[in-house]
This record gives sequence, structure tokens and C-alpha cells, in this order.
Amino acid sequence: MKITKIAFAIMLCISMISCASDDDASGEDLTGQTGELILKFDNGVGDQDFIFGTTYSKSNNESYKLDNLKYIISNVQLTDDPGNVFTYPTADNVFIVDEANGNNAGEIYVVLENVTAADYVSVSFGVGIDQDRFALGADGQGDFLEYAQDQGMFWSWASGYKFIRFDGTFSSDTMTDEPLNLHMGSVGTSLDNYRAVNLTLPNTVRVREASQPEIHIVADISQAFDGETSVNFMDGYDQVHTDANETPIIANNVMGMFEVHHIHNN
Amino acid sequence: MKKVTLLVLSLCVFSCSKTDEINGYQATPLEVVIPENFPQIQYNLDNNPVTQEGFELGKLLFYEGKLSSNDAISCAFCHEQAFAFTHHGHTLSHGVNGGVGFRNAQPIQNMAYQMEFMWDGAASHLDFQPIIPITSELEMGEILSNVINKLKNDAGYQYQFGRAFENGEINSENMLKALSQFMNMMVSSNSKYDKYVRGEDNVQLSNIELDGLANFETNCASCHATDLFTDHTYRNNGLSVNPMLDDKGRYNLFENPDDLYKFRVPSLRNIEVTYPYMHDGRFSTLEAVLEFYNSGGTDNGNVDPSLLRENGTYGITLSNYEKESIIAFLNTLTDHEFLQDDRFSEF
Repeated sequence: MKITKIAFAIMLCISMISCASDDDASGEDLTGQTGELILKFDNGVGDQDFIFGTTYSKSNNESYKLDNLKYIISNVQLTDDPGNVFTYPTADNVFIVDEANGNNAGEIYVVLENVTAADYVSVSFGVGIDQDRFALGADGQGDFLEYAQDQGMFWSWASGYKFIRFDGTFSSDTMTDEPLNLHMGSVGTSLDNYRAVNLTLPNTVRVREASQPEIHIVADISQAFDGETSVNFMDGYDQVHTDANETPIIANNVMGMFEVHHIHNN
Repeated sequence: MKKVTLLVLSLCVFSCSKTDEINGYQATPLEVVIPENFPQIQYNLDNNPVTQEGFELGKLLFYEGKLSSNDAISCAFCHEQAFAFTHHGHTLSHGVNGGVGFRNAQPIQNMAYQMEFMWDGAASHLDFQPIIPITSELEMGEILSNVINKLKNDAGYQYQFGRAFENGEINSENMLKALSQFMNMMVSSNSKYDKYVRGEDNVQLSNIELDGLANFETNCASCHATDLFTDHTYRNNGLSVNPMLDDKGRYNLFENPDDLYKFRVPSLRNIEVTYPYMHDGRFSTLEAVLEFYNSGGTDNGNVDPSLLRENGTYGITLSNYEKESIIAFLNTLTDHEFLQDDRFSEF
């Protein structure tokens, strides 16, 4: 553990050395400065805000309403204009975005602390847990395992995380209010459904000690069903768990859900 | 920049030494046995080095009823040392509130040498394996955060976690790491057969045991491979499907039709004491197992091709002497030192 900590400290130092742009365009010295950055996740359906219990229509004359909507975000990285990459500390770099934790506007805050001060132009993150993190076993997970289990994001019959969790009901031409459960994840090392998302920011986000900027990310959850590949509940996509054919399609669709809507530099 | 480096490093060093003093953290290294006749170790010990203190904590947890919802069902309830940590005589595992599981408890031995766990491979990391029985409603019926809360309220565990882990925290990471440390030490590699192949203590096999070894290599070793006696694959060996359980095996994981009725090829170490046999414990003797292969299984549509015989049936043709000698050989895989090792005993 000591070795891990020292290695981490060294890594942190290296990343600081490489990230911190000592002088920005205005000649401002950012050396050693860190600040807070908020990733604000805002779930929607097309051009509507997402609301629990509201019916949304999709392709093929099907519709759905959800009472549970969560996903795991991990490996957040930020890149500044010269191309320096800031990686949030690995052990803390995993979050559950739960619609139920949203404010009145349905926005879920992921607060990143001690972010190296810089002007960042892009943000990237993964949906789910990557194979490197999974291969560590319990190492570095702290209390995330029990947290994920309490959040219903860990399977108990197979040891793996649910990356996304959409629960509710669907209706079609022939069915009404049938159960809908999308629990997509990786299964051990055999099925890797982790996907990385890279988003370019519309303008730079300025991370400073004295400010609290926000990146407002809109997630269009309809893309999960009608994204890169349109899928139909009636074809078996009403119950998605570990199927080796269905889950990669959902994973690719989910990768396309995210878009940076705007930046708040305050 | 240099200042920051120094600051970060000194903070880290400071926090470490402070924790040591408060919690009595000690790290007395323990060596995981790597027998020369075993394949490569799979567990990454660098991420979770075994220490005396972590091992002792893992042992306490292994025998701890608080890991279950009624505070009574410990891991050891279904994993008894005298039977190579299996559930003696029970076809299926029993759990809280009279629940009965779907499968036969597997032995706990040589876990560090396996990459996947459970009959269907549902756990692909040893650290995560205990979560499955802990949370199964039919077994321990508990959730991790409840277990952690119970341990946090126990002064004994506050002390033990403080000794075993640098940050001293009682959380799922440290609990699972301690259990893995305990299990990683559980190496069974001192059977009569092991001593024979390693040329130790002048141990010799008898004639019938040697015949059995030869017959085993001809008939069984393609699946029960290496000195772990498993090739780590999942196969359908043609067992008739029990309609009461309708256990589809590895198919339940990925819903892949190729996986129908496939179960892990089990290790055969200590097989003499791990009866009953097969994923549902349907055979109570090794004689019954070998006679099943000899008389042939059920063609359920997905039986392993290696079992296909010239007459179109699935099985392994064995004469009475072949069966008898194979069993004599299998009995040389019993590791009495392991079965009686005080390090793993509750008392």
C-alpha cells in the first residue's frame, strides 16, 4: 500500500509537471494552482427533459417510461489547448450518475476536486468500468463496491458492475406496460462493454482556485434505443442483461448519448 | 514545481506513519506457496500482498457468521476443512432461513491458480467471488453495506482491520482483500501424488496407482489437465437435465446457446473427500461418476465432442480394472497435510 501511495504521488507529480501550463496566454501563473470543476449531467429524451414516469415514444411505434435511470461514469480526463492531459486520481475516478439524485431541474452533479488549473478544451470519460480497473479486483475500490451494490449497480449472481440501469415499462402495438430492464455491463473479462466518450467543449473551461466552472453535459437517453443502431423492445431488447449480442449494441448506442451543451465559467 | 513534489511526497509519508501509530498497522509478509509442479499463478499478489495480519483477518471473516443476514451462516458453513472446504455430504448448498442453493459447494484450494470461479465462471476475480454467496438470498442473504456496518460496530474488527491494512478502514475493499489473502494461502500441493512427481521423500505409487495414472492420462487428462487437474474450460458432459433445477450452466451468464449445460471442469485434488460429485452433487461416489462416463451420458444437444464415441453415444468406455485403478490413482490426490493444516482451522 505504501508503494502504491508513493507511486501514486510520483504519478501525480508527473502529471502535474506535464499538465500545469505555467503561463497561459495572459501571462497568468497557474503553477501549483488547483480548483473545482463540476460535470453537470442532464438526462433528456430528444428535445425534452427526462422525467420519471413520463411516457416517451421511440421508433417502431414503441414507447417507454422509466422509474429508475442510472449509469456509471469513470476515468474522467481533461485536455488543455497545448494537449496536456489531466486525469482525475484513479481511485476516486468512478461515479454513479443517478437521475434520482438530481436537483429540481433534473441535473446530477459530479464534483471534481483538486483539478489542475488550466484552460481545458475537451473532456473524456468512460461509461462503465474498464478492464484494467476490473482486473485490480478489490484493490483501489475503497467503499465503491458496497456503494455500487446499494445503488443496484453490481450483479450479485455474477461478479460485475451494471454500467447502465434503465428500469420501467414499455408498450408496443401488441403489448402494454410490460417490464423493461436494461442492465448492461461487462461480464468479467469475457465481455467488455466499457466505452470511452470524448467530447470537445464549445469554449474553454477555465479551472481556477477561486472559481467553480461547470460543464453541462446533456445525455439523450433515447439514443440507447435509437442511436447508432435502432433496437426494438419486441425483439428482445426489453430485457438486456449480459447477452453477448445485445449488450455491445446497447453499449455503442449509449456511447453516443452524451453531448456538451454549454460551459459555465464562473 | 519541486515544492509541490516535495509537499505531496511528504504529505504521503506523513499520513502513512501517522496511521501506523494509531492503528498498529503491521505488514508481516507471508509467502504464497508456488509448487514446482503447478502451472503459473493467476492472482496478482502485487495488488494484495499476503501478510500475517491480513491472513488472520481473512480467516476470522471466513468463519464469521456476521457475513450473513441471520448472523449465523459463515463461509465455512458450506466449506468445511476436513472435506477440502466443501459442504460434507450435501448435494446442494444450504443457507439462511432454510434456503437451498442450486449447486454443490466447490472446494476452496489453490484459488490463486485459477482465473475464474464458480461452476459457471460467474466470478472472474477472486476478490469478487465472495460477493456472490454473501448476496445470494439462498445462501448468506446479506448485502455488503450491512456486513460492513456490522464489522464497524465490532471492536475486535476495528483492531484487526487496523493491523492488517495501512489505512485501517473497514470497507468492502479491505474485507475482500483479507478474504483473498486467506484463500491465497490455501494451497493444496502435498498429496502422495505431488511428492511422487516432485521426487520427494522417496514416495512411490503402487502398481495399481501407476496403472490408474496411465489410464487417467489416456481417458481423462485432456480436460482434467496439468497438475491442477483442470483445463479451466466449461464443458457439457452429458448429464441428464434435472427438471427440478433446470440449471443451464454457463448459458445463464451470456445466454449463448453454445454454453447450454456447460459447467467448469473441476480440479480433482482431494476428490476423495469432496463427495458428492458434479455441479448438483448427484453422484455420491467416484464409482458412480466413472460408471456414468462408461455407460454414457444424455445427448442433450450440446455434449462435448471429445466424449463422442464411435457408436454415436457420448461417454468414456472404461473396463472394471480401468475404473478401479483410476480411483486408486485419484485417491493419491488427497492432501492430508492440507486437510489438517491448523493455519486454516477455526480453532
